[in-house]
Order: sequence, then structure tokens, then C-alpha cells
Amino acid sequence: MGEAEVARRKAFLELRDEDVEALKGLREIARKYVDPVVEDLYRHFLSFEETRAFFRDPAALERVKRLQKDYFLRLTEGDYGSDYVSNRLRIGTVHERIELAPKWYLGAYSFYLRAMALRLLEAYRQDPERALRSFLPLMKLVFLDIGLAVDTYIHAREITLRKQQEAIRELSTPVLPIRDRLLLLPLIGVVDTHRARLVTDGLLRAIRDHRAKVVVMDVTGVATIDTKVANHLIQTVTAAGLMGARVIVTGLSPEVSQALVALGLDLGKLDTVGDLQGGIEEADRLLGYRLVPADPAGGR
Amino acid sequence: MPPETHVPIEHEGDIVTARQRGRELAAASGLSTTEQTLIATAISEVARNIVVYARRGEVVLAAIEEGGRRGVQVVARDAGPGIPDPELAMRDGYSSSNSLGMGLPGARRLVDDFELSTAVGKGTTVTMRKWVR
Amino acid sequence: MAVPIMRQGDVLIASLQEALSDRALVELRDELARRVGLYRAHAVVIDVTALDVLDSFATRTLRAMAQISRLRGARTVVVGIQPEVAFAMVQLGLTLDGVDTALDLEEGLSLVGRGVRGSERHAP
Repeated sequence: MGEAEVARRKAFLELRDEDVEALKGLREIARKYVDPVVEDLYRHFLSFEETRAFFRDPAALERVKRLQKDYFLRLTEGDYGSDYVSNRLRIGTVHERIELAPKWYLGAYSFYLRAMALRLLEAYRQDPERALRSFLPLMKLVFLDIGLAVDTYIHAREITLRKQQEAIRELSTPVLPIRDRLLLLPLIGVVDTHRARLVTDGLLRAIRDHRAKVVVMDVTGVATIDTKVANHLIQTVTAAGLMGARVIVTGLSPEVSQALVALGLDLGKLDTVGDLQGGIEEADRLLGYRLVPADPAGGR
Repeated sequence: MPPETHVPIEHEGDIVTARQRGRELAAASGLSTTEQTLIATAISEVARNIVVYARRGEVVLAAIEEGGRRGVQVVARDAGPGIPDPELAMRDGYSSSNSLGMGLPGARRLVDDFELSTAVGKGTTVTMRKWVR
Repeated sequence: MAVPIMRQGDVLIASLQEALSDRALVELRDELARRVGLYRAHAVVIDVTALDVLDSFATRTLRAMAQISRLRGARTVVVGIQPEVAFAMVQLGLTLDGVDTALDLEEGLSLVGRGVRGSERHAP
């Protein structure tokens, strides 16, 4: 987050130099009340089941309370430059990582503001207007903090989601190099147009990256093979062929083959073998491999 | 990137220019290399149609945005003879590998949105859009 | 001549460059036909590694090159079609039926029976 961005946020919140001075003026009060305020905050967290879950370990709880006190004191230190901002941004990232939802930590900010409001009313009992005027700069600063924390939380969330989507995509279109120049593509599940494109794309890249000459594409696990799916498979085979790779399709049952032919599909383009083992044996033959037992005598 | 890039199509050499500009725009808009190739290939097909059937026309490229997602729009237009039977031209099964076909069903498969507007004697406009996934 | 054509024994190798115009493709088709006859080449390897697009015209022309070469007794292998290009071709419904394909120049030469260093290599 650049300095210009932070400056815009402060400008929008109308956080000015006189507010910074006012906040510094609250330092004494903050130091006086930091312990009871933070203790109250954690009493509050521990009284709710959802937030209690985050503080089961007593050592961790103590550590977090210390961090919380630092946070609280920093609000009135008077230095709200790049260090301050970095510190606040980290908070959002941590919350996303430990999966503490915004509703809970926003509640914490609310707690601080209320706690400080009450303490200020007490301190300036004779002059309630002064109490309010001292409170407003604090509100501006806390809202700066909220904005920073929430934005980083959202950003971190988007990154996590994107990684998850990548992982799912990887898992669902695996291309496995099982021998030199030989790839295995086990297709499992539903093959709709979108998935077919992903599979084809992934296969073609793998053919290039591994310089594959033969691909065994096993469709045993494909849920339904209708003419649409069969056409996708034929397209995948054709594309691989353009890159000089031969595709052996395994796992296509005779019933399904017959049904597809009856529906007018030309399966002549597909090189099919009954089962996966047969397909790999065929692939080995094409590549000139011959499997020989390590000890011809059949011993150890 | 200017809002719109106009590539005049007057001879076959312009086909390459149009698809190269298209690829650049697609890359700048965040489309993957595969998607860039799809768009460049689609542009090649419709630009060639202009050269073959209408002799001259233009390809207009634009970066577009809708509902938060970014994309590329290609408009290939000419003032040529128009297509007498657009439904036939768009029917799948008319492969572009035989010289009778204009490759429109194929081009449609390469992009996300495809619109054909044509009238005999008035010319043809093909509008294609591809969005970043 | 826009496209360089090399000769390795009785194999012709044409390496297509990026951004090939229609006219250059047609010139190549005619020039290859001429040289196949001239050198009695038994194979033609067309390397399209550098091409970022293979549209319907290019595909038709490649098929024509193969047909012409076959009439003169030569086999044609197209090599180097990139993953994105292969993908676009099948989406467009283009095929190279009747034309052999291989991953790259090395594979293509191995297929037609002449190694890169000129040593004989037999296709599997």
C-alpha cells in the first residue's frame, strides 16, 4: 500500500495534524487504562463460544493479550506513518490466516471505542464537551485501522480462494508422465465443455513439456459418455495428434462404443483398447519398450 | 491502449496485421496465451472473409469491461455483398476446411459472444467478444 | 524466397517464420513442389514452430503441399504445432488428415528416416 493511498484515506477520514496532537494528548489516559481495557476485551471474547475457540492455549492467550496492549497503546503514540500502517496491514493478514471473521474483530474495535469513550467521560467529568472532542480523533484513527485491516483481509481471502481454485483444477485434470515419452491421463467425473477444454489444454502442454509420443487416456471413471462427451474426446485426440502424439483410449466399454456408433459417431478416429493395463502394454509396444523380469530365473 | 483500434482490411497482408493487433490487445487485457491464440485465429478467419468476399473492410478492436470483468471485442465489418443465407452460413457442419464454408461456425466456437449482422447488398458485420476467465 | 528451405540428403526442410502472409504460403507451396521434383526428395519436413496461428487457409495450404509432394513420391511431415495452436485448430474444426505430424524437427527427421547429423535412424 503506497503512501499516496494512505494519504487519501486519511484525507477522506479528515484525520489532520490537530487530530494527531489530540491523540497524543490521550496518551496518559491510554497508559492508565490499557490493562483493564484489554482484560475486559478478553473477558468479552472468552464469554462467546465462537471467539473463545481462538484462545484455548493459555500461553497463546497471554501472548495475544500483550500484542493487543501494544496495539491499544499505539493508538495514542502520535506516529501514524508507514510503520504504523504496515503494522495494521499485518493484522488483517493474520486474521485471514487464522480464519477470524470480520464480524468478530470489528466487534473488538467497537469495544475499544466504547471503552475509551467511557474512560474519557470519567476523566473529563466536569467537561463532557472536552471528552467528546477528545474522542472524535480516536474514532477517525480507529476507522483508518478498520479500513486497513478489512482491505488486507479481503485481499488475503482472494489469494486463498484463487489458490484453492488452482489446486482443484490441478487435481481434476492430472496428466501423469509414467515413462519416458508416455503420459497417462485418467479422466474422472463429469466432462462438460469447460472441463474438456481444460483437459485438452493441460494435455497439450504436457505433451510439449514431456515430449510425449503416446498418451493413454483412461475414461473408465467418466460419469456419462454421450455423443457430446465423445466429441470432446475425439477433439482431444485430434489435437494431440497435431502435436505428433498418439492417444490410446482405454476404459470405453463395448456397450458404450456400440451406443455411440449407433448414434452416428465415427469412432474410427479413436484408438481404443479395453482396459488400462492393455492400453499401457500397447503404448509400450508403440514406444519400443519391452518389459523383462529382473531375474529371468524367477528367484529373489 | 487507445479505446479502439481500427485496422483497415484491403489486402491479404492486412489479415496478419489485424490478428497481431488483436493478440496484443488480448494480452494487454489479461487473456491467457491460449485465449490470445483463439482470438487471433478468429480474427484471421473473419478478416480473410472480408478479403475474399468483400474485397475491403475493417477490423475494429476494443478493450471492453462489463460487470467487473475485462475482455476484448472484435468487430469485422465490410460493405460487401452480404450473406444471402446467414442461417446456412452459421450452421455447424459446414467445416471451414472446404472452400465453400466461411468458417463462421468455427469462429463462433473460438469466442464467448458472437453476433452476425448481414443483408444482401448492404454488407456484413461480425461482432465477437472474449472475456477473461 | 520468404521461407528458407534446407536440404539434408533427400529430405527438404522448410522452416516457416512468424507472420506469414497468404502469398508467402502459396509461394512456398509452389517452391516445395518444384524442389521435390528437382532433388527427387523422399520427404518434406515443414516446421511451423514459429507460427502463432494456423487458420483455415494455412491448414488448407499445408494439406495441399502434402498432396502435391505425395504425387511426386515424397512424404510430408508437419512439425512444431504449438499447444495453443493445436487447441485453436480443433476448436475451429481444422484437421491435417492425410498429413503426418510430429512434435518437433528432431522427431520429424527421425520419422522420415534421416537423423539430424545425417546418420540413418529407423522409425519405430
